Amino acid sequence: MTELFIRLMRKPQGFVGIVLLALIAAACLFGPALAPYAPEKIDFLGRFRAPGWQNWLGADQFGRDILSRLMVGARSTVPLAFIATFVGSAAGATIGVGSAYLGGRTDEAIMRTIDAVMAIPGLLMALLLVSTLGNGAGNAVIAIAVAFAPGMARVTRSAALNVRNQDYVKAAIARGEGAPWIIFREMLPNVMAPIVIESTIRVSFAVMLFATLSFLGVGAQPPASEWGLMVADARQYMHQAPWGLIAPSAAIALTAIAFNLVGDGLRDALNPKDER
Amino acid sequence: MSLAWFARRLMLMVYTVIVVSMLVFAITQILPADAAQSLLGENATPEVLAALRTRLGLGDPAWLQYGRWARHVFTGDFGISMRTSLPVGPEMLAALSRSLLLAVSAILVTLAIAVPLGVVAALRQGRLTDTGVSLIAYLGVSLPEFVTATLLALLLADTWHWLPATGYVSPLEDFGDGIRHLALPVLTVSLILVAHVMRMMRSETLDVLKSDYIRAARLKGLPERTVVFRHALRNALLPVVTIIALDVGYLLGGIIVIEEIFAIPGIGRALMVAITTRDLPSIQAGALIMAATYAVTNTLADMAYAFLDPRIRYD
Amino acid sequence: MTPVLSIQNYTLDYISSVGPVRVLHDISLEIGPGEVLGLVGESGSGKSSLAWALMRHLPENAREVAGSLRLGDIDLQRLSPGELTRIRGRRLGMVFQDPSTSLNPTLTIGRQITEALIQHRGLKQRDASSLAINLLGHVDLNNPAAIMRRYPHEISGGEKQRVIIATAFGCRPDVILFDEPTTALDVITGARILALFARLRRETGVAALYISHDLALVTRVADRVAVLERGRLVEQAPAADIFRAPRHANTRALVDAVPRPERRLVHDKPGDQVVLAASDIEVQYGSGGLFRDATPPATKKIGLEVRGGEILGLVGESGSGKSSMARALTGLARFSGKITFDAHEIHRMRDMNAAYRRDVQIIFQHPDASLNPRHRIDEILSRPLKLYGGHLADIPRLLEQVRLPASYANRWPHQLSGGEKQRIAIARAFAARPKLVICDEITAPLDVSVQAQIIELLLALREETGTAFLFITHDLNLIRQIAHRIAVMRRGEMVDLLPVEDFDADHVHPYTRELMAASPVPVG
Repeated sequence: MTELFIRLMRKPQGFVGIVLLALIAAACLFGPALAPYAPEKIDFLGRFRAPGWQNWLGADQFGRDILSRLMVGARSTVPLAFIATFVGSAAGATIGVGSAYLGGRTDEAIMRTIDAVMAIPGLLMALLLVSTLGNGAGNAVIAIAVAFAPGMARVTRSAALNVRNQDYVKAAIARGEGAPWIIFREMLPNVMAPIVIESTIRVSFAVMLFATLSFLGVGAQPPASEWGLMVADARQYMHQAPWGLIAPSAAIALTAIAFNLVGDGLRDALNPKDER
Repeated sequence: MSLAWFARRLMLMVYTVIVVSMLVFAITQILPADAAQSLLGENATPEVLAALRTRLGLGDPAWLQYGRWARHVFTGDFGISMRTSLPVGPEMLAALSRSLLLAVSAILVTLAIAVPLGVVAALRQGRLTDTGVSLIAYLGVSLPEFVTATLLALLLADTWHWLPATGYVSPLEDFGDGIRHLALPVLTVSLILVAHVMRMMRSETLDVLKSDYIRAARLKGLPERTVVFRHALRNALLPVVTIIALDVGYLLGGIIVIEEIFAIPGIGRALMVAITTRDLPSIQAGALIMAATYAVTNTLADMAYAFLDPRIRYD
Repeated sequence: MTPVLSIQNYTLDYISSVGPVRVLHDISLEIGPGEVLGLVGESGSGKSSLAWALMRHLPENAREVAGSLRLGDIDLQRLSPGELTRIRGRRLGMVFQDPSTSLNPTLTIGRQITEALIQHRGLKQRDASSLAINLLGHVDLNNPAAIMRRYPHEISGGEKQRVIIATAFGCRPDVILFDEPTTALDVITGARILALFARLRRETGVAALYISHDLALVTRVADRVAVLERGRLVEQAPAADIFRAPRHANTRALVDAVPRPERRLVHDKPGDQVVLAASDIEVQYGSGGLFRDATPPATKKIGLEVRGGEILGLVGESGSGKSSMARALTGLARFSGKITFDAHEIHRMRDMNAAYRRDVQIIFQHPDASLNPRHRIDEILSRPLKLYGGHLADIPRLLEQVRLPASYANRWPHQLSGGEKQRIAIARAFAARPKLVICDEITAPLDVSVQAQIIELLLALREETGTAFLFITHDLNLIRQIAHRIAVMRRGEMVDLLPVEDFDADHVHPYTRELMAASPVPVG
């Protein structure tokens, strides 16, 4: 594990990604403690204050400090995106590996159906689910998990099929190893790498999707300082206080970039053949 | 090109549309514990609720409800909007046409910019052009549509006042003004798509340039120009058709947000309105039409690709 | 007389993450007009690097440290890109190893030949086309006009290589570099390409540098042979002499490792008891998808028997069904028919019990793929011990048995060479003292010297344990050295099953005769 980390840090993308991730994790864990102001603290005198020594990133239409809201809002955005990705990946991976193991016509039928489900764009799927389940962050997480599952199923299945056709799996079958051993000890360790890489990159999509849902009003609800919500709020006042728009946008972008970079870095680092 | 292959591909498209319709119906009508309640809200009286349940046939078994709905939908009857009391079908299809105008314009702009840039980046791999292109692409992929849209609106409409921030004017009525109003949304969508397409074209072209047959062409003594234009590009451009199909996928996801932000009366906006006003027939119609559009586009793209790639002549 | 190609004191490094690695040391070679020089070396010898250096297609991290490369009077290292384009193809041609990947899949064959002819012989399209048809006919392709209109995937590997050869010769260069042109082809197809090469060479007088790992093959086509060992030129001699009287120790080792049918390595006779009998085996792949028909069976009711301690050879080209047989016998492919093992009858995969799985083992062709990259060696070797009752303490003994140090137990597969990985696969197969070991082309991807070591190891293990072997290979000379009986397969059918002594007889099947003619015994 540690040597994986070292190899990840050696490449520039991995390094930058990990640094950014560390920052974000710090915001999630210590945000409320470190924030200069309470995020709900209203200060009518400071409305639309430009970035300066009082408010490092400026203040919004209620005088609330944007930096504080960002730092606290990390908690509303990132961990939930993480959970949604994890659940979606787990569900998708199960379907994918199972389909690959079954093979033949069953596999083909399952995959054609998955393809059909993917004809519904992710955002639309999430919106439909949220409209049924009701607005709110929790339901948004479920909606995103369901929207991600088919895509992960596909990726997992193709990785699993690739592995299943390898000679070491055939050797295990020829030896008479039982199915559990083959799936968990022979196949899974070799399928984990593509799954982890794909999942990491998907967290960035989850962050963006979650922010979009909040922006549209169906995800996190006010007064939460979720970043997408902050952008939605700031839109009306973008003329007076553009910083209200730029700060949360940058936060979302940096988070997405961070996960993308780490995912790409993992792709290189997890290739065992690079060890010399 | 074998007829059987075409037939199989069409059957697959039909299967896709059917599965989508079932899924949409299940999520919107079967899944909610009480669809009538969630549609009318808390303040509805029991009589009104009962009336709605009867009207929607919510008491019947799921497959019966679906069958009824499907029969109507696949003959073109999408029901009556609960919000406007007008037929859903014509309104949705009109909205779709406006969205298609936006989509097609955006795709054309994207292809014009992203394909050459992606190819050039690959040809100049490792140099400044490539780094620049890759960075922009990376950024574009990491920004949600609403961020890009809002920032662009901030810059081009609010700060520099080049373009109107919102609104739609049909180009059929007033071409110039119509274009002005479409410019910002098309630009936004294009930027997002350009990032994706540039990346794909770059990696496709790189793969082709590293292939053995390009090496063989070079070592055969063909001038670099011939190697690039006659050999490499031919293979690198083949997936453009597939890329267009993928674009439509990305587009459909983003169009909801884009139309919402720029107040374009397309199918995305219609869907959002339907969702917020809980107009069930409109939600079902909008979702189905969107997904069906994607399925049809994919099928056409597959067929076009098979037509162009000599390797897929006999399947 | 000026040599056509002259390499003087050429030294080449590759810069890697651990610093510069010397790939070629001080190489000096010359090829006279019309002469064919064979360049032989095992993997890592640097022979391909020399070809790329001549074509000026070295990778980014290559550094030419010293020496010169001359094509006639031209100093190749001083050419500008424009001049280089004019040299390539016209004066210095190349034929590559894998014909399937050397042709552009989206251009017709005709286009790919005529563009070279137009470029190098200044012809117009129409003249180029007729010349191309001529050339294709000259390389023994049927219906050249039709082939001109086809795409690469519509013709076979052998036909593709002929097209590439025709293009190369058609530009009338001074010298052509051949980089292992028959390695990716079947034995018989490869032999025909070699015959074509010999004929064209006689007719045109083009000089050639023929690169290969196969010393025996090279002595058949070359006038002189140069042997490369780890970047150093160890010997240069006329082809006829190199086999008869190799001077350098490395060359001698190489010569000794080449399989020769008359050099029997196995001198005993097999037992009488039949260990495994298979009859009417028909292997079926794929039940067809939702929309597709099933593929035809890979084997057509094949039967064979293996006796105790016997080495039964199974020979055939690709698509013959020999690997399918191996898979059927180990429960990796669906089959119909009957297998009798130890008085136990097996009709389906499910009938194969634990005892069968223990006593019938398989070793695969690609050592990279048959060891799980995420398992350490000790875990890999522990599996048969755990499944069939053994002690983990036996692992060092297993490693010793295949002549590897005990410390290898802690290593990962990617830290081992191809030959070492194959030894681990062998150790794994022998861990439970099986009665029958199926070897599916296990030495095909290995260098000839490594192959010889592996064969020696297998025979030593056989001495110890009395195991029978079903040895699958396409190398007829190799199998004639070790097998008691040999079965020849072709397109799913068994055309011959003979004791090894009878192979020279008159009554062998014409296909077997063709196979023997395609793998001639080297001189010396």
